[in-house]
Amino acid sequence: MILEWVRFILAGGCFAVGIVFMILSVFGVNRLHHALNRMHAAAMGDTLGILFVFLGLMLIRGFSMSSLKLFLVILFFWVASPVSGHMISRLEAMTDEDLGEMAVLEFDAIGADGEESPIAGEEELEHESV
Amino acid sequence: MTEQAYDILLLGSLIILAVLIIASMIRSFLGPGISDRIIAINMTGTMVITAIAILSVFLEEDYLVDVCLIYAMISFLGVVVLCKVYTGVYLQKKKLKPDFGAIADNLTHQGEECRERDVRDNKGRHAAGEEDGK
Repeated sequence: MILEWVRFILAGGCFAVGIVFMILSVFGVNRLHHALNRMHAAAMGDTLGILFVFLGLMLIRGFSMSSLKLFLVILFFWVASPVSGHMISRLEAMTDEDLGEMAVLEFDAIGADGEESPIAGEEELEHESV
Repeated sequence: MTEQAYDILLLGSLIILAVLIIASMIRSFLGPGISDRIIAINMTGTMVITAIAILSVFLEEDYLVDVCLIYAMISFLGVVVLCKVYTGVYLQKKKLKPDFGAIADNLTHQGEECRERDVRDNKGRHAAGEEDGK
């Protein structure tokens, strides 16, 4: 009896962690703006979310054939998800003509309030070199 | 006693997954670009697979796990084929260089234009700010 409850608590913990990862991935995909950032959030649900939910299901099913198939699904997802992510990122990089607008390095030079110009960093660099 | 607890656990996670599936379907309707839609559809497929696997334990039907495995394979195939098709259509329409040539074009030309525009805008904004200060 106690052993069954221990198993239930373990399975419930795995379920909760997996569902939380999936909620975070859906929240990230709806919240972020660029497709490359959205992919970063979606990959989390593809790997960690499905791992923990299926681990909970395997704990419930015990040592059986269907548990082995669930493990096979996890294995397939961990192989297939990076490949599909690579394809989607290549599609995005090839078709997005505003790819240069994603100014990652210049954001620090501009600052949050936009007071300094992006050239400020370069001027400082030239000054240091002189 | 434990069976009721398992039922509540599985039903609760199924209900949460249904809400998440609806949310990611809404994102796939709204997504501005084609890659946003493909990402949302891929995530919807992941959650449907999870729901089918939970149903296989909830209904105690082992064959639903096989359905789940086949669904995962077809979802992966669909994503790969959609990416290939849309890349080919775009490159044919724009008559661009394939593969990394297109990425380099997107990065360099657009980047230079953006930088020039940023410099111009910043100069304009600084002049306006000085006038406002005076």
